[in-house]
Amino acid sequence: MRNENKEVLLEVKNLKKYFKINKGFIRKDVRYVQAVDDVSFKIYKGETLGLVGESGCGKSTTGRTLIRLYEPTGGEIIFDGAEIGGMSEQELKPFRKRIQMIFQDPYASLNTRMTVGDIIGEPLDIHNLASGEARQKRIYELLERVGLSKMHASRYPHEFSGGQRQRIGIARALAVNPDFIICDEPISALDVSIQAQVVNMLEDLQNDFGLTYLFIAHDLSMVKHISDRIGVMYLGKLVELSDSKNLYEKPLHPYTQALLSAIPIPDPEVTRQKQRIILEGDVPSPINPPSGCRFRTRCIYAMDVCAEIEPEFKEVEPDHFVACHLMDQKK
Amino acid sequence: MGERILDVQNLYTSFYTHLGEVQAIRGVSFHLDKGEALGIVGESGSGKSVTSMSVMKLLQHPGKIKSGKIMFKGEDIVPKSSKEMMSIRGDQIAMIFQDPMTSLNPVYTVGNQIMEAMIKHQGLSKSEARKKAVEMLKLVGIPSPEDRVDNYPHEFSGGMRQRAMIAIALSCQPDLLIADEPTTALDVTIQAQILELLKELKDKVNTAIILITHDLGVVADVCSRIVVMYGGLIMEQGSAEDIFYEPKHPYTMGLIKSIPRLDLNERQRLVPIPGTPPDLLNPPVGCPFASRCPYAMQICANEAPKYYDINPGHHAACWLLDPEAPKVEVDTGVKRGGADA
Repeated sequence: MRNENKEVLLEVKNLKKYFKINKGFIRKDVRYVQAVDDVSFKIYKGETLGLVGESGCGKSTTGRTLIRLYEPTGGEIIFDGAEIGGMSEQELKPFRKRIQMIFQDPYASLNTRMTVGDIIGEPLDIHNLASGEARQKRIYELLERVGLSKMHASRYPHEFSGGQRQRIGIARALAVNPDFIICDEPISALDVSIQAQVVNMLEDLQNDFGLTYLFIAHDLSMVKHISDRIGVMYLGKLVELSDSKNLYEKPLHPYTQALLSAIPIPDPEVTRQKQRIILEGDVPSPINPPSGCRFRTRCIYAMDVCAEIEPEFKEVEPDHFVACHLMDQKK
Repeated sequence: MGERILDVQNLYTSFYTHLGEVQAIRGVSFHLDKGEALGIVGESGSGKSVTSMSVMKLLQHPGKIKSGKIMFKGEDIVPKSSKEMMSIRGDQIAMIFQDPMTSLNPVYTVGNQIMEAMIKHQGLSKSEARKKAVEMLKLVGIPSPEDRVDNYPHEFSGGMRQRAMIAIALSCQPDLLIADEPTTALDVTIQAQILELLKELKDKVNTAIILITHDLGVVADVCSRIVVMYGGLIMEQGSAEDIFYEPKHPYTMGLIKSIPRLDLNERQRLVPIPGTPPDLLNPPVGCPFASRCPYAMQICANEAPKYYDINPGHHAACWLLDPEAPKVEVDTGVKRGGADA
């Protein structure tokens, strides 16, 4: 099915998030970190959209701005037809129930002084969903759903391993029956053998509850595994967006090509024969990004036009979006 | 094969905490030849980092090498005093750590930190050492090294700091380089740069490398031999081809099956390893993997398996390899010749 025929759950239009930094005496020189700059995409109902990129590319900031942990600097966030980007906290409350988040660090994201039962019960209290016995029942039900047991409810987070804590975080997110979950690097703090446990569980939950995921991660193999579509970010910009099979088979943006070629494959013969594109240098500073295309300083195909005009993010093939001047040349 | 650089024999290392003895390594043996890259893989708590710290003799209190030998170029370094070790460390054995942010000294210039080892071990003068430091920075691919040599670590990016760390480690042309998760804190494109550099150095300078990592892709790329650790023991050891194409230990198979492959197209279901790693304060009597192993038999919980040789250089500690055990066939999905398919 073509994407345009699917139902859109979340649409992001020209989202911007700048962080202000002050420099110099009496803070005269105000500058901005352009963490997310003019990013637009849609997430369809029931799908998993992966967001990948290197550290500092703005993928986590995008996730946090969507759930309004950060105030957007500009642009629109349209969730199920309602513009939530500019809503007051009070107007937002019913939407908070529908959008939840799972965090990267299973150690820092659980309150060490609360029992697991209270951690999972807190969203129920805030949204007045259940109390007394019903609350207790719901907590037990959630614990069992994520592969823990009833008796864990009275324990504290420090008594659990990393993988178990991540399950607690997932149970907390599920407590309010959300439609949409933002998973911000949910497995990168876990051991390899535990990662697969959590990923399989996320897939099962999606099937059972019809959830929609935004899956943010830097591990491209895992993102490819879990996502229907993938967006690639570089220095605050979305540079390519496509369905995941197509993106891996036929990456169009030079950055995506380099990123994919850089990943070592766990198979000695395959990985040693692989052609690598080794990028020179490091990611430039988002305070003072390069003019035109932000990737041009590391791009092997950079042309004069790349420094002058910012490439437009457009659909070059059905459902395949790229922001690169090379696309115009090919035509 | 070349000259034997390192031969670790039956090494035991424990941490004496107030809760009791944590037996982090319980009898580990492996060796390494000149110009070879050995990968040690395992999850957190498997003992892979403690192994490297034992070889460096950098264990922090309350950690102690309990018994065993570490033969470095034919000489046992376990009984050596810390003063004797100081003349070996940095000169003949060097190490790169996971976190390039915290392992460089912020108050000295990068150049100074590269020069330090050369002045100490090779008796170079300051100006000679500085010249060498610029050369080293050039070797590890830092642009305009003449200017960069006077920079402080905070002026370097993460990838450049890791390059500077490698420059320090290689400054005295060590016989053995231990890299403990050298790319874990780095982005993939920077990781590719560093791995390329390590491979180049191995071939050019002929340094023996121990690469410690949890990333099977990284070892497949760089290492010719692989040691798989779990619960303080070596579960399986062999050439990279043996480990990926003919794994004999259920833990190795489990690891390979639990990671998604970028180059495969069908959406596979991952096969996780159930449960969690053992507590080394009270290590299990039998095989440490028995409680998570899908093929566990009665004997596995009661008696630790011995090493069975599969072919020269490839052995695994698993009761399934005993002639009396039932035959188990497992398809991990990784096959020899997969590159052509």
